[in-house]
Amino acid sequence: MSLAIPNGLDNTVERPGERAPLVLGETTYHDITEAVCKVAERPPSKGWIGGFLVAFALLQVLGLLIVYLIYTGVGVWGNRAPIFWGWPIVNFVFWVGIGHAGTLISAILFLFRQEWRTSINRAAEAMTIFAVACAGTFPGIHVGRAWLAFWLAPYPSLNLWMWPQFRSPLLWDVFAVSTYGTVSLLFWYMGMVPDLATFRDRSKNKYRRMAYGLLCLGWSGSSRHWMRYEKAYAILAALAAPLVLSVHTIVSFDFAVSQVPGWHTTIFPPYFVAGAIFSGFAMVLTLMVPARKMLNLEKLITIRHLENMCKIILATGSIVGLAYGTEFFIAWYGQVPAEQFAFLNRAFGPYAWAYWTMVSCNVISPQIFWFKKARTTPWIIVVVSIFVNIGMWFERFVIVISSLSRDYLPSAWAYFTPTWVDWGMLIGSFGLFFTLFLLFCRTLPVINMAEVKATLAKQEHMAHLHGHGEEASEGH
Amino acid sequence: MSETKIETTVHGMMAEFTTVDSLLSACRRIRDAGYTKTDAYTPFPVHGIDKALGIKPTALPWICLIAGATGTCIALAMQIWMNSIDYKYIISGKPYLSLPAFIPVAFELTILLASFGAFFGMWALNGLPKFSNPMFTDPRFDRATDDRFFLYVDAGDERYDANGVRNLLADTGSDYINEVVEDDSPKEVPKPVFLIWGLSVAASLVPLICILTMRVTNSSKPRFHIFFDMDFSPSKDAQQVTSLFADNRAMRSDVPGTVARGQMEESLDMLTGIDVEALTLSDPPRVQRLVRAYMLADDEAKAEEKEAVDAAEAAPASVMDTTPWVEKNPLNVDAELLAQGQQQFAIYCSVCHGMDGYGNGLVNQRAQSISAPTWVPPASMHQETLYADKYPDGKLFSTISNGIRKMPGYAGQIKLKDRWAIVAYVRALQKSQNASLDLVPESEKAAVEAAVTEAKAELKRQAEEAEKAAAARKQEQP
Repeated sequence: MSLAIPNGLDNTVERPGERAPLVLGETTYHDITEAVCKVAERPPSKGWIGGFLVAFALLQVLGLLIVYLIYTGVGVWGNRAPIFWGWPIVNFVFWVGIGHAGTLISAILFLFRQEWRTSINRAAEAMTIFAVACAGTFPGIHVGRAWLAFWLAPYPSLNLWMWPQFRSPLLWDVFAVSTYGTVSLLFWYMGMVPDLATFRDRSKNKYRRMAYGLLCLGWSGSSRHWMRYEKAYAILAALAAPLVLSVHTIVSFDFAVSQVPGWHTTIFPPYFVAGAIFSGFAMVLTLMVPARKMLNLEKLITIRHLENMCKIILATGSIVGLAYGTEFFIAWYGQVPAEQFAFLNRAFGPYAWAYWTMVSCNVISPQIFWFKKARTTPWIIVVVSIFVNIGMWFERFVIVISSLSRDYLPSAWAYFTPTWVDWGMLIGSFGLFFTLFLLFCRTLPVINMAEVKATLAKQEHMAHLHGHGEEASEGH
Repeated sequence: MSETKIETTVHGMMAEFTTVDSLLSACRRIRDAGYTKTDAYTPFPVHGIDKALGIKPTALPWICLIAGATGTCIALAMQIWMNSIDYKYIISGKPYLSLPAFIPVAFELTILLASFGAFFGMWALNGLPKFSNPMFTDPRFDRATDDRFFLYVDAGDERYDANGVRNLLADTGSDYINEVVEDDSPKEVPKPVFLIWGLSVAASLVPLICILTMRVTNSSKPRFHIFFDMDFSPSKDAQQVTSLFADNRAMRSDVPGTVARGQMEESLDMLTGIDVEALTLSDPPRVQRLVRAYMLADDEAKAEEKEAVDAAEAAPASVMDTTPWVEKNPLNVDAELLAQGQQQFAIYCSVCHGMDGYGNGLVNQRAQSISAPTWVPPASMHQETLYADKYPDGKLFSTISNGIRKMPGYAGQIKLKDRWAIVAYVRALQKSQNASLDLVPESEKAAVEAAVTEAKAELKRQAEEAEKAAAARKQEQP
């Protein structure tokens, strides 16, 4: 498969003393507006309709299974003694991990002035919010009596006469995930307001114009507004950066604060955060590589963007690999028999198949990104990113299931078997995710037009300084 | 056209530019010309424009800081109040106010409120949402969010003069200059939107009103149970019938071979009252049966043992007589044990056997008074056949545990050690009715004699008092 590089320029080549262009072709501001708005304005393609129908059907599966679960009870899952945290928690940690890339790209890369984030941050943030929505579903129904899930909130209850227990990581988790969901939503929405104004101003239909007019809050593009807006954006980015690190740290406390062998380790917070970034970027790539092709956004989401994300996958994948190794080292070095058994059991016990699937997908498969050819070939990127998604699901499976299935009480040991409801809910959660994502593609700006235009302005400004780009680059 | 222009209010003058650079240079010229009420409208944030227009920095970071600090305080106050003051949880013996555990939630709420401060503060400072804006009256202004840059001079500026501004703007190279006039589009919300909005607000109020109504009214109807089997568990009581098991019994017996807590702590001698060592010599199969029945909770063995013992009651030379019974109470007999035995005897035995053990308890008195035909009078503890030499402690224990004649076994009701305590107490009871001073140790004799004398004197005094009282009553009555 050839590199699809518009107008022949390869922006993955590093030219000393020059920034690689992030917007390709003879692009004007208006071209950017056209390219992005067309995605939502033109009639839906057959591919979109087909994809939406499949995703929507899967969403119905999830909804019906939740009704079935609530009506029947949690016995419909494969959760049996001693494995009471079965697939629902595996799925929760999987989805909440995926939800880390969006805010990371928006906040941390923004603070580090990584301008290549501008073309991908909107879709990544949307992905974050949809992934957090999927994640939030699972603990909500895992509490057993889902209609009483509001007991998690610290409210003056007349039925309970008691308060939540704030020394429990599970309660910290409630606060962390809900704060993360809320702040991500604010961040995403605020970033979208100027682009929603563009949608409003292009609308021919009166009601469409009114709807986008309401959504964009009457944005006019005033410089005074822009000044405060940029300040607010920078503050939100600075707030979201530690937040995104705290969320998976607290999720890891759910495990690390317990005393189950294989969970009770101090490496969990950094290891979980690296894994979350890893899986999140993999999901961004899984979505963006086909999307840029189908939505004709190749000039804006360039091969260089993909290559940069591949480098992050390679780095975080290697961190995760190092963490796997460190866990074994600490188990040996710590000389706690239960801990040592837990890790030997992971690698060579009844769940060895899951463990080695995880290692091959997470540690071995991203190593192909050492080669530039692999980093710049879309189909290889998609294949590896799907491998990483599978591997990261298995990582959570290995952590949750293998540790619980064989803990301190050998007479209670058991092998976990998922039921059809477990399978249905995992697949259904992808239905929820893709339904939301496909709706997002059709109704909201998939790329941050204002930021890309600002990047283009900067790029042109630099080209001016270098004496009109082309000649200067030939001189090198 | 000129007529309508006169009637509408003029807000200011706008000029359109196609590049950032031309906008910036126009901004500088307008600023240098002394205009202050100016603004630029751009599709993306243009750097350097705040300087070119003279825009002051924003107070937003301070709002954010205050909101964040409020979040920290709320979170800490909430957690300390809820977990350290109002509802104290004891977790791993840690102090009620353990700050490190409260940090994660404090951190999250700080971020949450600071974000709210940044988000809502920004919109508030910008005066948004604001849906009517005179700028929007010009159709060309639609491109302000696409690829055009607009410079605007407000009519409220003290230097404002329509022609002067127009000329100045034309000088900067703008190819489109227009006056900004009052938005003449209808101010009312279009009817369908209003209708939908009203309907959805009304619909959203329905559940709330329903809940409020239900909270303030009384109802005689029973509560509605969404999940009936969660409110009313289908679990069975001990004596009920169930279709779940082949024997239709809801109450299940122990799984064969399982040992309950405390079950195997005692020796077989103590469990049965039989001298097992001696029995091993005379009747090994019975020992095996006893082990299965008492130590392995084997119901079948228990039933066999009971059958054998029951059969013994009928036959004269029975297994009861040949059994080598435990001769001595295995527990350490002291005042405490006797008190325990006395208490248990009073609870379980005295109703039939009487508090004194003569066999005339309340149940017996009632049965005699109604001449119950099937009533077998309970035995008196004070017959010589029941004395320790003829009826060893082990046999008495076995009788209490397994029953005799009409008396049921009490193994199910009275705990093992309590049964042995009753045995000890019955021995004491027997002694109490048939004791001489010789049994008392020399050191205690004087005290006992004194107590006896005192008790006799007391009895005598009471008898005299009663006599006197009776005589007094006689005198009063004619």
